[in-house]
Amino acid sequence: MAKNKKKKELIIIGAGPGGYAAAFRAADLGIKVTLVDPEANPGGVCLYRGCIPSKALLHIAQVKQEALEAAEWGLKFEKPEIDLKKIRKWKEQVVKKLTGGLGQLSKGKKIEYIKGTAKFVSEKKLKIQPNDSEAYEAEFQNLILATGSVNVSLPAIEIDHNKIIDSKDALELKDIPKSMLVIGGGYIGLELGSVYAALGSKVSIAEMTPGFLPGADRDLVKIFEKEHPFKDLFFNTKVEKVSIKKDKIKVELKEKNGKSSEKSFDKVLVAVGRKPNTDTLALENSGIKVNDAGFIEVDQKRKTRNENVYAIGDLTGEPLLAHKANYEGKIAAEAIAGIKGAAYDPGSIPAVVFTNPQLAWCGITESEAKEKGIEIKVLKFPWSASGRAVAVGSPNGLTKLLVEKKTGRILGGAVAGKNAGSLIPEISLAIEMAATAEDVALSIHPHPTLSETIMEAAEIFSGSPTHISK
Amino acid sequence: MATDIKIPQIAEGVESATVTEILVKEGDKIEKDQSVIAVESDKASVEIPSPEAGTVASIEVSEGDEVSVGDVIIKLEAGESKDDDSEEEESDKAEIEETEKKEKKDKEPKKKNTKKTEEVDEKEESEEEKGVKKSEDEEESSDEENEEEQETEEETGDKDEKDNSGKLEENEDEDETNSSSSGEIPASPGVRRLARELGVDIAKVKGSGPGGRISKGDLKDHNKSGKGKTTASTEITLPDFSQWGETERKQLSGIRKATAKNTSTAWSTIPHVFQFDEADISDIEEYMQKLKEKSEANITITAILVKVAAVALRQFPKFNASIDMKNEEMILKKYVNIGVAADTDKGLLVPVIKNADQKTILEIANEITTLAEKAREGKLTREEMEGGNFTISNLGGIGGTNFTPIVYHPQVAILGVSRAKKQPVFINENFEPRDILPLSLSYDHRMIDGAEGVRFLHWISRALENPYEALLGA
Repeated sequence: MAKNKKKKELIIIGAGPGGYAAAFRAADLGIKVTLVDPEANPGGVCLYRGCIPSKALLHIAQVKQEALEAAEWGLKFEKPEIDLKKIRKWKEQVVKKLTGGLGQLSKGKKIEYIKGTAKFVSEKKLKIQPNDSEAYEAEFQNLILATGSVNVSLPAIEIDHNKIIDSKDALELKDIPKSMLVIGGGYIGLELGSVYAALGSKVSIAEMTPGFLPGADRDLVKIFEKEHPFKDLFFNTKVEKVSIKKDKIKVELKEKNGKSSEKSFDKVLVAVGRKPNTDTLALENSGIKVNDAGFIEVDQKRKTRNENVYAIGDLTGEPLLAHKANYEGKIAAEAIAGIKGAAYDPGSIPAVVFTNPQLAWCGITESEAKEKGIEIKVLKFPWSASGRAVAVGSPNGLTKLLVEKKTGRILGGAVAGKNAGSLIPEISLAIEMAATAEDVALSIHPHPTLSETIMEAAEIFSGSPTHISK
Repeated sequence: MATDIKIPQIAEGVESATVTEILVKEGDKIEKDQSVIAVESDKASVEIPSPEAGTVASIEVSEGDEVSVGDVIIKLEAGESKDDDSEEEESDKAEIEETEKKEKKDKEPKKKNTKKTEEVDEKEESEEEKGVKKSEDEEESSDEENEEEQETEEETGDKDEKDNSGKLEENEDEDETNSSSSGEIPASPGVRRLARELGVDIAKVKGSGPGGRISKGDLKDHNKSGKGKTTASTEITLPDFSQWGETERKQLSGIRKATAKNTSTAWSTIPHVFQFDEADISDIEEYMQKLKEKSEANITITAILVKVAAVALRQFPKFNASIDMKNEEMILKKYVNIGVAADTDKGLLVPVIKNADQKTILEIANEITTLAEKAREGKLTREEMEGGNFTISNLGGIGGTNFTPIVYHPQVAILGVSRAKKQPVFINENFEPRDILPLSLSYDHRMIDGAEGVRFLHWISRALENPYEALLGA
């Protein structure tokens, strides 16, 4: 057995959506997999303290918001009561159910799951530190690094996990502060800010750039700007200093034009982004280097410069998204199994912000098209012309396609409004399949659904959308 | 977890074949490399091995089906893990065995990988090269043609394509430095994956769909297009022969088709030069006779010629080479593999004696016997017919005074051997009856000049007459 412990066919460090996808695929391909992660079950940040718990809470927020909206249409509910303990419990149940399910799958696939951490001792050797037993060294034939990312902290702001919190603390939902400042107007800040706003906090946002979601499609952001649930927006603003004064937190804000102001809040959430989690790997012992942005460089098969060492997910670069990691995990597993065609070459990686309204986009953006010198036609279909959108109270939404002028190929897309996250995959698939606007326009879409907005946007390309005038 | 077993590159230049026999049935547990189906291709019958062990979940083809490269033939359930379990539950001893086994297995996937890659490489090679053994010639030339065509297309074609190609190049660069996107190539993820499997540069494939979208069919057409080129010239309308008498039409066999295609492309690509010489092999004949009387060993003149040619190829490296016109380079090979043409019922086959320079004449003789047998039984594997650098075609057993064989592209020379005859030779003021062997050498003038050709052939005939002198380099 000792010998067995030493030489492993495939070790995967990190069991997030990248690591467990790699493990499952590799196991299915007949490879003996050892999966190392500090949590009891696979899931990683995504399931334990990211995508999934936040979506559980956002769902509650959405139900509350919709109930409120319904009052305008003649359906009035009592003022909702918020039982924080029960919400927490429900959220925890969701997480437990899903991670437990992954644990079962992992067992079913005969994966050796080690609760613990691992780091490099040398190029070809790891030190595995199980949570509850002694550390030992292990060699591997192949290795996949999948340790994901961690929250970026701000040097001037110390997170005390009580008054000044990070996204993980925010998801624990200890209390609902009266007022809250979210530092960072990216998707994490907006989603968690939305949760707290829905639960009754007065949430303000401080963002260094001129608007929400730097880098995202501005047409989408404009729609969100009209409907956002926040109190004050401090754009072009830097948080200079944060100090705790009794129960309040004093925050010094400095605008780009030099104007300073001081505000106080009951809670401050720091959500300024995430960075690759390489610190725990002792990469210096492996010879693997990270680039200037801190990411591990990999080839199309997700292989690092070290033969037999692969890296996936947030470790390898933007976008830091679970579904990208998941895809990369499967590719790396296939590459290790010798599947020649396996390579990471996505044409489109969709991104979704689960606020209300939801924002989603994929493929290239207008500015990217400009940079690359691709001539595009932007096709916008406003949801005010969609029967379904109006009927479900989302008339401000927008569906947008970016189509290459000469070929009619769909190269990018964006959706804002209810269920945008469930609409974007159609556009993403169209991009991957190299579909043209004509193809989408000629595919029958069910009525009355929001998906018709994609078809109608595509119809604009040929100049004849049914429900809007040119 | 199901794995698809796909039709590999069956033989060089062979894109499709007919399923002649299915060797497994659904539910069968099969080993890695176990043959699963037999197909009849241009190149005799080939059995397709399974790339991995597992259980046959479903068979996707039936006997008589026409299949082409990349088609799924069998879906396989990976079966290894199950075995592991049952073994693990056994005694300690079993566990040790198990560990050993695991170690073995640990190594195996690697082997598997490299083998797969090799196979695919071969695939790539052959697909790029397009020709069957004889005349990959056509391929190179047609590839060139293709490229040129594409270039002109890009130049004259609509701006669109130009844009695209420019971008694709960018993408390729990006890929090298780790970035991801080939999003601007209009092909679905499955098509992109198949292109990598087939070793096709998808950036060079012309899509037939809307917006230039590339389908799996386009990939296959792209592969074929290079090959199809020269056959166009053979599509000359034939007269109606029945006006002069009775005729019968018969399908050409796979090997016949391949030979026809390859010789014609070799002929149109390689500027052939023919050189003749003769060698006095009386001493060799005498020695062979003695050897025969003394032992079981059956040495043939072909075996001796293979050995002599192997030494000659070492001395004249340009004959052990290929020409790469695309890159304007010659490819000198550091190994000496010699093909020996074999006449079979089904047609001409050319098994290859690998590393002939490192083998004794006796070993070569035995190998030729084995391979010739296999060739006649249609059991030669692809590997046994690949990788030749030079070919010997000995028709002496049948007769003839001389002939001009066609160079087996991408090789650059071929030695033709006719029947040895007793002839009066003027030696020491007297005519003596000597065994004279007529030799002919056909070579590629792009690579080899006349003077080099005659030196090479002369070296061979001298080596046959006086091995010591030749070997001493005198």
